[in-house]
Amino acid sequence: MIVRAAGERALRELVLPRPGLVREPLLHFPLGPADRPLVQRGQLVTPGSPLFERIPDAAVAELELHAGEEPPAPGTLVDESTPLRIAAGRSLRFEGHGRVLYATPAHRLRAAIGRHPQTVSSPVAGTVELVSPAAVSVRASGLGLPGTLAAGQPAEGRLAIAAPGPDGELAGSSIDVASAGAILVAGARVDLEVLGRARAMGVRGVIVGGLASRDLRGFLASEARQRAAMHGGSPFALLVLDGYGRRPIPLAIWQNLAALEGAPVAISIEPPLLVLSADAAWARPSSGRVRIAAGDLLGREGTFLGPAAGLRGAAGVEQPAGRVLLDALEDETSGTERTLPLADLERLA
Amino acid sequence: MAHDPLAFFTLDRGSASTAAALIAQVEGRFRLLAHAAQPAGLPVDPLLARLAGDVGMAEPGLLPVEGGETSPWTDWPRLEVATRPPRSALLAAATERRLAELEQVVSGAGWAVAGRISPDRTDALEATALALGKGLDLLIVGAAGRPTGEERRALPDLAALLQAVLERRRDLPCLLTGAAAEAIEGWPAARIVLGPAPARTASLAPDPLRSLLRRAAGELARQAGQRPPHVASGRAGAERAPAGPADGRAAFTAAIASLAAVLGQRIDAVDVGAAAGQRVLATPEGLRGQLELVDAALVPEAVLEDDRLADAILAWSTLRGDTFVLRDRVRNLRLWPWRDAAGEGARLRLAAARAALVRLDTAWRLADGGGGNAAADAPADLLVASGGAFAVAPAPAIALALLDTLRRPGGMALAYDHARVLAPLGSLDDEGDRRRLLTDLLDDILVPLGSAVLATGLRASRHPGTLRVRSHGQALEVELVPGAIQVVDLPPGQTGTVELEARDGTWLGMRAKRVAVEVGGGLGGLLVDTRELPLRLPERPERRRDLLAAWERPLWQEDAE
Repeated sequence: MIVRAAGERALRELVLPRPGLVREPLLHFPLGPADRPLVQRGQLVTPGSPLFERIPDAAVAELELHAGEEPPAPGTLVDESTPLRIAAGRSLRFEGHGRVLYATPAHRLRAAIGRHPQTVSSPVAGTVELVSPAAVSVRASGLGLPGTLAAGQPAEGRLAIAAPGPDGELAGSSIDVASAGAILVAGARVDLEVLGRARAMGVRGVIVGGLASRDLRGFLASEARQRAAMHGGSPFALLVLDGYGRRPIPLAIWQNLAALEGAPVAISIEPPLLVLSADAAWARPSSGRVRIAAGDLLGREGTFLGPAAGLRGAAGVEQPAGRVLLDALEDETSGTERTLPLADLERLA
Repeated sequence: MAHDPLAFFTLDRGSASTAAALIAQVEGRFRLLAHAAQPAGLPVDPLLARLAGDVGMAEPGLLPVEGGETSPWTDWPRLEVATRPPRSALLAAATERRLAELEQVVSGAGWAVAGRISPDRTDALEATALALGKGLDLLIVGAAGRPTGEERRALPDLAALLQAVLERRRDLPCLLTGAAAEAIEGWPAARIVLGPAPARTASLAPDPLRSLLRRAAGELARQAGQRPPHVASGRAGAERAPAGPADGRAAFTAAIASLAAVLGQRIDAVDVGAAAGQRVLATPEGLRGQLELVDAALVPEAVLEDDRLADAILAWSTLRGDTFVLRDRVRNLRLWPWRDAAGEGARLRLAAARAALVRLDTAWRLADGGGGNAAADAPADLLVASGGAFAVAPAPAIALALLDTLRRPGGMALAYDHARVLAPLGSLDDEGDRRRLLTDLLDDILVPLGSAVLATGLRASRHPGTLRVRSHGQALEVELVPGAIQVVDLPPGQTGTVELEARDGTWLGMRAKRVAVEVGGGLGGLLVDTRELPLRLPERPERRRDLLAAWERPLWQEDAE
């Protein structure tokens, strides 16, 4: 089907685009009050380079200051092997690693410290753009595919297609030791049990079209337990490309990911992104392509033909609509034309 | 308002959708000629071109002429407002009581509360972690003008902690209120703003601290210089805004105050959008109360993590299905408020709007506590609904949603700002211009939903009471049914008198056996509501859905596509 220029213009004017690839995305790694950066602004990092030290067991500790002693500035690094000099001939030593919080008016120096620091590594190659008390930010030298939400820890691995299709599901039985180190593409849905198995098998991350919110809640609770443990294990990330519930991965994204199978990729949590290498081949969908993002036909794709008379809904409330030639299903010889609410479409090109 | 050219656009840029309208002078009076809405993020000019094109095709004579031809639509002025994304504050106070007072003022000014710090609930580690969190716009430290002994004892340690926090967060400004300002020594002065103490007695009336917070939100929005991103956290579409559209919520408030003066009526107005909800009360004498609440958004962000909040929305829904699937559907409505608006999606949206109105009403009553003006309990002459939350619901169903949630005994008219024109009109600086345009446009921009009479306390008996409606020389008499909602056909434009006669008396703000109320017609007709106040829904989901469906059935007629 050839879409006329006027139709393409109408599509741009009437239908919101699905967010496309982002060049050199900026990734943020939030820091806690006791966490300690291990990089400086402008520093180049590669996958696996240490970014910061996380103190998962941080708690408040305090030491007494004498009257007239100048307390160290808030945020000063604390190390059990290096005493803090606070006056000539006097220093204080906290029993752990962390950072100074503040000095109370009653001359107590409080710090956030823990005894079991964990090193958090960069999942991407790039340049450290910002180091602040709140976060380390890295400009990744690659392409970012935006998702809707992400959870877990930023992770990197080789891309592996693990579901039968973009609207399929990842079965627990399809994950084995050979999946260790991989980031799996899981189709339209994944459940908590399968996520647990994937983590246990050494999988580094899962990319999925949709996720039930109860499974997300379970995953976050499991993550919190992992982080609180003395040895947090390997980072594991979950990237949801579309939204809550069962939602197929857009076909064009699925095909591109399939073509990249085996390539090194990373999942960023903040923002939710799949980071690909800068030279990754990524075919853009042809012009006029749309995807149905809500309703009974969720996930179906097709070609936008042009605006249509509005659809009348409840008690005469009219919704702007467009005509779409849906791609033929496996058991169809040709596509079918449907009139659909414009608000339920997303532009793919 | 200039008289030449005689056509202009209004634009209300919300967080989830943009509404545009074309208004022109026709035979000496401004009229609404066309209006439409589209998801936020789409270009606006094509929308305006379509409005101008549609009118040009249908009634070219209504549009301004220049050199014998219709003047180009691109030359027509635009009255534009934009809803700011809510700003986020971290609150700190030396006592829990002061923290609660501060939170009431801050949340009522349309700020999102990102965290709370007090000696009783947070240690230094938690407080610092909250301050290092992302998306914070302001740290607010609350203290009374004359602090209590407990507060005075706890303030120095809290101040030392927060001063340290500000040394680590060098991008974070701070508002010190009341006696907290005494701790300013040694703080980064360039980032400190001093403000009045939070009021100890809640009030809907304008409050100095709330006004300061609104100004601060505006200033931060100007500094950010960005259009509100989509509410979906992962889909921030950062469309650059034109330099300075007026704040939509402030403009809506101004429009309601002007409308009250034009009509000489007490007007209660609610505006529920994707980012926040707002309620305004105005009388001919001026603004009586205003509350802007992030939690009263159609689907608040907290729904993404809070099942109870999702369930509170579903409690108003007639949709059947697996609870977990329905919760996911509510959460997707938060991510993409413009999608899935047909069929069941429209019903889910109105359920979310009802839950938002309940949250707004609860906060309204709390904010009115002890204020002495009894604003929350007095019925209004006219209740106006506005905002994208109502965009895809049939007008009679909107009337029912208002009646379900904003329950005050008595009679009132209900109207709907269907083209979202009120806020842009409120952005006009000149009160005279506002009133003149409102006078001209009143019949076009406010869809009459109907009238409602809420009469409680009707006792079940063989003949509990009678309802008589007299309109245009005709009279209709029906038997009153206790605990029900009865719909009487009264078309738009018609007026009438309703007489309620109850054997044991009924309550319409006062107990009486016979009451007469003047009413106007509307798309929903006359709704006589004898259900209880407050409305209590059955606990069991099936019974609740059946009851809601029974109430809604006569007012929500599905049309075939």
